[in-house]
Amino acid sequence: MYKTNNVFKATAVALLLSGCATQSPTLSSGNVEYGDSKAVESLTNEFGSTDLQTIAESMASSLLQSPALFAKSRPLVTVAEVKNRTSEYIDTKSITDSIRTKIIKSGMVRFAVDTSAMQTQVDELSRQNQTGLYKKSKSKKMGNMEGADFRIEGTITSIVKRADDVKDVYYKFSLQLVDIESGTMEWADEKEIRKTSNKSMF
Amino acid sequence: MRSYDDELKQTIDLVGKGQIDQALTQHESNNTGGDFDLLYYLEKGELLRLNSQYNDSASAWLLADQKVNEWENEAKIRAGAILENVGTVVLNDKTRRYDGHDYEKVMLSTRLALDHVLTGDWNAARTEIKKTHEREAIIAEINAKDTEALEQESKEKGISTTFKDLNGYPVETLNSAEVTTLKNGYQSAFSHYLAGFVYEALNEQGLASPGYRQAIELRPDIKILEDGLSTLETRPGLRKSSETDVLFVVESGTAPTLNSITIPVPVIVSNLGVIPISFPVLHSDTSHTLQPSTVGIDGKNTLPLAAITSLDTLSKRALRDDMPGIIVRGILRAAAKTLSQKALMDQGGGVALAGIALNIANVITESADERTWRMLPATISIARMTLPSGKHDIAIGSSKQSIDIQGSHAIVVTRLLGNQTYWSQPAYGPQMPVYAAPAMIQPLKKVDGSAINTPAKKSKKKKVKKPVHQAQG
Repeated sequence: MYKTNNVFKATAVALLLSGCATQSPTLSSGNVEYGDSKAVESLTNEFGSTDLQTIAESMASSLLQSPALFAKSRPLVTVAEVKNRTSEYIDTKSITDSIRTKIIKSGMVRFAVDTSAMQTQVDELSRQNQTGLYKKSKSKKMGNMEGADFRIEGTITSIVKRADDVKDVYYKFSLQLVDIESGTMEWADEKEIRKTSNKSMF
Repeated sequence: MRSYDDELKQTIDLVGKGQIDQALTQHESNNTGGDFDLLYYLEKGELLRLNSQYNDSASAWLLADQKVNEWENEAKIRAGAILENVGTVVLNDKTRRYDGHDYEKVMLSTRLALDHVLTGDWNAARTEIKKTHEREAIIAEINAKDTEALEQESKEKGISTTFKDLNGYPVETLNSAEVTTLKNGYQSAFSHYLAGFVYEALNEQGLASPGYRQAIELRPDIKILEDGLSTLETRPGLRKSSETDVLFVVESGTAPTLNSITIPVPVIVSNLGVIPISFPVLHSDTSHTLQPSTVGIDGKNTLPLAAITSLDTLSKRALRDDMPGIIVRGILRAAAKTLSQKALMDQGGGVALAGIALNIANVITESADERTWRMLPATISIARMTLPSGKHDIAIGSSKQSIDIQGSHAIVVTRLLGNQTYWSQPAYGPQMPVYAAPAMIQPLKKVDGSAINTPAKKSKKKKVKKPVHQAQG
């Protein structure tokens, strides 16, 4: 009992001294560190986090300056596919997700469910309306979805060249805004990225 | 000393006779002690897969994957240190920890992906496929650094011997056009085509596209690979909701054996003269397994099978790329052994006896590393067709099987070995991942809150069918 009390007191004092009452506990082996998610990443010359962030930042700010998008109040936009024309496994949906997040934060645009999330949307509506589990007065009705005013679509291409000890990779990300009713292209922009590395990197 | 080649020959013979349970027992009896190496798990996973134990197979391969992860973590740190401590190593390459050949590491992720698909877990398959790309990138980086270090070391030590200089070595096995035209010794068209197919099934065209594109780059001018990319955008619109896009994967034979050949090599280091050194030689599969050229469907259609990946050729390319390192290590090891033996002999008396003992030990231990993943197939062929969902009679070679195909996409894997055909019964594939079935939406005729006359959605039980395995003679 004596030992237990001493241990308890020592622990309490240690906690007070370290101010642990206001800090989250940390478990660490000492081998893992958190880094800055915005830090420039140049470990290899393949498509990386910095490229994704650069493209998303550039495209979102350009799109938010497009007069066509704001001709009407809070237009409804949907995101179509960004076609990957490179030989790299680039998750283009991750790029468009970042662009969409930046634009939606402006509060000036609304986004309609895109094709990849459509099945989930349909399933949810069907569940509420067809399973008999929900109050009819409380379930969301079918047939009330809104059609988007604009569609965002694009492509990413690359040119890779190797010569002696150097590998050069050029990426071009093109994005465009299409008025769905008229079929007219209302805005387009491109972001180019060039990365060069020496032999030990490829 | 343990002969890996002999052990696996017996196991493969049993598989070729359809005796999978005995093959598994044999494999366990060959590996006792509990501290199992990478090869144990690689071979075990393959045997369990042939026995339709896909979850057990995946478990074994995930343990193998942990070992490959350990290698990756270590290799990233030691990249470029390919010859570290080699001068002091008396024993040969086969006493080193088995880390697997590069193509084996890549094929491990690919085969794990297939296991997951066969149990209906396409998202887990996607994880493995993503791991494949990351693994290939790590291998490329490590190989580049190792090659640079090797060139530097060879230059410093004055070693310019290539496998073509080894008098008596079957140079033709590593110098054929098939081998030299491969991009490298670890990337396969099948792995990338499978990546394309899985991403497509999960409605990720942006990732499917580079999968098909890389498959074409690795094996140009193969129609099925070109079609995979050229019709990628139009395919979803052409397939009806009652149809399944089926990929037939037909694997045949086994990967080649690695044997040892001893060749006298002039050792310039310390002017030691000519010393016999052992080198690995690959011998193609001798199981005389049929490599089918077509898949029959319901006795009506015959689909051509395209052989898109040869593990036989890939392993030869891997050995060709590894040979510079094997030669340099062999020469440096031979020099170290000879010098230590000479030093003991020069001292005379009892020390000389130790020199003789060391000489005997050298003779016993000096043989090339014969370890390789033998249960991998020699060839992987594919065919693809959109079929009405439901049961179909599939014929490959002389074997037939009724396969129930469901979902928007399915993969049917068949393995031929000896006179046996091992079929897989795919679990239900993903259900229409794309919103392309407007019939599911019945817009309201009445919006006044009264009766909603929408037909009940047809029940879609996502039950996973128990895989069926049938070995046929």
